[in-house]
Amino acid sequence: MQTNVILSIAKKEIMDNIRNKWIILVSVMFALLTLVVSYFGSLGSSGWQNLGNTISGMTQLGAYLISIVAFMLGYATIIGEIERGSMSALLSLSATRFEITVGKFLGLGAVLCLTILAGYGVAGLVIALNVANVNYLEYLAFIGITMIFGLVFLSVALFFSTVFSKRSTALGGAIFLWFLFTIILPIVFVGLLATTIDFTEITMQTTLVVPDWYHFLNLFNPISVYTALITITIGAVQSSTGAGLIPNPSWYSSGLLLGVFLVWIIVFFALAVWRFQRKDI
Amino acid sequence: MPTQLVKCPTCKTTITISGEPGEKINLTCPQCNQKGVFTVPKDINGRTMASSSTAIDVKGLIKTYNHFSAVNNVSFSVKKGEIFGFLGPNGAGKTTTIKSILDLTHADSGTITINGINVQTHGKEAKKYIGYMPEKVSFYDNLTALQNLSFYAEIKHASKEECIHLIEELGLGDAGKKRVGKFSKGMVQRLGMARAILGSPPILILDEPSGGLDPRGVVLIRDKILEMKKKGTTIFVSSHILSEIQEICDRVGIINKGVLVAQDTVEGLSKKLNLKPQITVTIDAMSTKVENAVKTLPGVDSVKTHGNTLEIICDGAMKAKVILAISTAGGNIQNIQSKEPSLEDVFMRYTEA
Ligand SMILES: Nc1ncnc2c1ncn2[C@@H]1O[C@H](COP(=O)(O)OP(=O)(O)O)[C@@H](O)[C@H]1O
Ligand SMILES: [Mg+2]
Repeated sequence: MQTNVILSIAKKEIMDNIRNKWIILVSVMFALLTLVVSYFGSLGSSGWQNLGNTISGMTQLGAYLISIVAFMLGYATIIGEIERGSMSALLSLSATRFEITVGKFLGLGAVLCLTILAGYGVAGLVIALNVANVNYLEYLAFIGITMIFGLVFLSVALFFSTVFSKRSTALGGAIFLWFLFTIILPIVFVGLLATTIDFTEITMQTTLVVPDWYHFLNLFNPISVYTALITITIGAVQSSTGAGLIPNPSWYSSGLLLGVFLVWIIVFFALAVWRFQRKDI
Repeated sequence: MPTQLVKCPTCKTTITISGEPGEKINLTCPQCNQKGVFTVPKDINGRTMASSSTAIDVKGLIKTYNHFSAVNNVSFSVKKGEIFGFLGPNGAGKTTTIKSILDLTHADSGTITINGINVQTHGKEAKKYIGYMPEKVSFYDNLTALQNLSFYAEIKHASKEECIHLIEELGLGDAGKKRVGKFSKGMVQRLGMARAILGSPPILILDEPSGGLDPRGVVLIRDKILEMKKKGTTIFVSSHILSEIQEICDRVGIINKGVLVAQDTVEGLSKKLNLKPQITVTIDAMSTKVENAVKTLPGVDSVKTHGNTLEIICDGAMKAKVILAISTAGGNIQNIQSKEPSLEDVFMRYTEA
């Protein structure tokens, strides 16, 4: 493995995407959206919310958007180059498919993380200037977790860009996958839950006891894992109003959930390399 | 004797050296004339120590796409320093063969070595020797020509100066700072040639390099190929247009419907097919005496007359005798033209259904 090859490819991905400008637009949009959520976010009160409320207001929306950005960055990165013809030239050099995959993941990952950092970072600073008692550390943790979450989707996207033999099919696949994680899986899991729990008996006072298998199933949806990880890790979110209807089980821990993310990243990255190795260019 | 690539410490040109592992070799850099001593590296994985004069060796290559046999048991070898033309009509299997040589597509079976190194098992090592121009040349459209080349240069360990120089040399001068997305097809093609020869690789593989080029571009590419040959580069070039290859190739391989039907020099091929030169002689006044004198000569296949012109097809060795016979029979010769059998003829013979 040659680090210079990997770094050259990573650098090229960064240059290519920044020149593309849409990613800059996405960062700006993120910052604006966060500010809007923070200022107008909670009903009943107007003006700037503290960072905790801002984070819990942004978690779900941010997850949807970041997964889209990660998919956009990655879904065609390999099949796109094969289709256009630039992959032939790249592979004729002494760059291996593994090195190319690593380089692409690093480069696209850097672009994604920069987008998140710029978007949430700028918004965070603006909010911090307007509210008292800012816990910068927790906000940084929020940004960090969000980056790792983004990398999970990037890894899945990278795999998708090796599965199909056409860019257009890969786009279809990515769109389906996004709906799967954001809408289909939550509905299916809650549907399964509904067969075992009588929701009509639940009042505001009762604490909902949800079986473990439901929480286990949710580990297979990165968006659920992300929301849980934010709630568990960021103290400000736990105490804010935004904590979910279904509480997290005691056996969920930051370590476990981060571990799940890591497994997602590694498994899909490995699958991407495996598929790419076998592909005819 | 195994060969190995070394870099000149002064000008960073890649030089091929050959010798026994561990042997010390005195060398003068062809680029900057710097003298130096290089040690041939000890054994390198995957190298067959027997490799010597063969640059590319393909044995029993088979590639099938969903039951369609694109390349069927093709074997050939390209000698170091020669220009090898790989000819065949569209869809014959040229690109598939080339992609297999580079292990871009995985062959179903067969062995391919570059300078004696197995491409399938030691691709990284083998590809260090190759400069490649794909049939479909493509770059990163958001980046400029120079940024694109510099990216490849980083991986090939070539310098940015060389990139600038090559852009100039291929007639793209001012366009270096332009985004490749704004390039015309011809410009992209030239940049593709620059990318292939970047880092002066000892072996060039060019897949239809003149496709989509204007006549000036075609000449430029041909000159570049000849220039690289002078430097000792081995060149493997595919084409379905014969005229552009005929003059420059040392040897050709002809592929049709996935099968290699011939592999030889142009001359050798026409001999094998018994293709004969055609002589066109114009005389003062045609007479049956002249016509008969030629017709009765041994080794003359056919004689046609049009007015005062004779079209004669005969053995190459009979040319002088034919002229003499015409003259002796009283024909006053005005003009003589001789046309050697062309690759076109060879090609047509081999690829006709
Ligand atoms: N990826 C592929 N899938 C299916 N068939 C292919 C593929 N690539 C090439 N072929 C077929 O293999 C044959 C040889 O193609 P190719 O090597 O590109 O020919 P050439 O370069 O000589 O024009 C053609 O009939 C082509 O349609
Ligand atoms: Mg072709």
